[in-house]
Amino acid sequence: MELFSTHIARVRKFMEERRDVRTFRAFPSRPWPEGGGRDVVLMGDTGVELGGPETESYSLILWTENSSLVNKDTISLIGPELAEAGSRSIAFGRIVILSIEGFTEENTFRRCREMEQMRFLLDLKGFMIRAVPQFQREWSRVSRDALSRGFSLSVLGSSLMRLFRELDYVTGSEIIFITENEDAIRKIRSLTGDTARIIAAMNKMAEEMSFDCSECEYRDVCDEAEDLRRMRDACIGNAARR
Amino acid sequence: MGKSRIIALCGKGGVGKTSVSALLVRCLAGREGRKVLAIDADPSAGLAASLGVRVKKSVDDIRKDLVSRLTHGRRTADPETVRALDYELFDALSEGDGFALLSIGRPEDEGCFCRVNSLLKDIICDLASGFDYVLIDGEAGIEQINRRVMKEVDDLIILSDTSVKGITVARAISKVARENRAVDCRTIGLVLNRVRGKEEVRRISGDIDLDMYGWIPEDDSIREFDLQGRPLVSLPRESPANRVVERLASMFAD
Repeated sequence: MELFSTHIARVRKFMEERRDVRTFRAFPSRPWPEGGGRDVVLMGDTGVELGGPETESYSLILWTENSSLVNKDTISLIGPELAEAGSRSIAFGRIVILSIEGFTEENTFRRCREMEQMRFLLDLKGFMIRAVPQFQREWSRVSRDALSRGFSLSVLGSSLMRLFRELDYVTGSEIIFITENEDAIRKIRSLTGDTARIIAAMNKMAEEMSFDCSECEYRDVCDEAEDLRRMRDACIGNAARR
Repeated sequence: MGKSRIIALCGKGGVGKTSVSALLVRCLAGREGRKVLAIDADPSAGLAASLGVRVKKSVDDIRKDLVSRLTHGRRTADPETVRALDYELFDALSEGDGFALLSIGRPEDEGCFCRVNSLLKDIICDLASGFDYVLIDGEAGIEQINRRVMKEVDDLIILSDTSVKGITVARAISKVARENRAVDCRTIGLVLNRVRGKEEVRRISGDIDLDMYGWIPEDDSIREFDLQGRPLVSLPRESPANRVVERLASMFAD
């Protein structure tokens, strides 16, 4: 199942055109302390706000069965680290690239949803996350206290990677953070934002009983993605058996 | 970390619920960096002004938007919708020093879109779990808290002035809470407001079957703040009303 290999290539091209990409190995230190489920960080306690409603934000998960497309356990950063951010509120983009295995027409939708939800399992002291998956927006806050204790994008990325490791079909992960400015976020969105329609088409075929493609607003998406058509055919087969 | 402590204030209109709620929010938020979610469930929506913040959006605005999306065929319970509503609710918070305010807004039409209300209640409960305290400024009927905010509270404070009408409503609220179980609560108690002497307190406490949590003396400084349109969060700490509310907050803080 390969739906996003062209998008991964676009991300690579975007990164190649940048001279300021910093790369780290993930898992440099002990896991960050847990927040105990009390995740709210109020503005008064906020050290830095990432991708708030007043600025650009972008969050994307790309996956591939071709593990050579993934730089495993690597975190890349375009823009300042949190401690270097000159502003309390910054634009924020995060692209997760996963190498996966065993995806079929039957399990792809469920697994996509599971991967999408993993970030909400992050329970990190002094870190709060909110997101609108449909619009690929993600808004988070890091408390002043957490920032002073060394919370960084490296910590965040490593924590997220640890969560993805728990999924037995994920064989490797890479994360790219973009904190440079709103233009950089808009640029990467313009290059890869059509993934939202692929996911939406998948959601629609998994949740709706109608498979009348002539009426569907995602027909153009399926026309271009053979794997989506195979998923749709599998859904039709399942519906017929019911 | 323990669960959030949820406190609701109810009572007849005009007895000072919003003023006492605002002072309670300030007192609770001032405790060792604790975070308070204040929920204004009173349609008159005065808590924001008393807390010195502005409401950007109410839960009812979000509800209307969701209803509109539903009529265009979207589902309610898929994870994406739940997450988007959580985001919208957080964005609707008006934040102050140690607290955030969520305004419920005007009541919706009776009986419509129960699944939307139910979903929103679930998300409010989930949001509330991120705070140390939740303080609900309710209206007279606690049924509204159940229907529009949450089903369970830890402590129900019934606020009344010393008027016969106020006490009659306090009795009625207590009866509904205990007998009809309109809201599940661990404790119920009475706070008297605008008291003009201990004799009033003795008379009323001997005549009502409710624990007396405290009584707040008539406090001219609150009246002055109200007249000047100043937020009560800047009321002097040593004001008589605030000193009582500090003691009340101590009861619920531990």
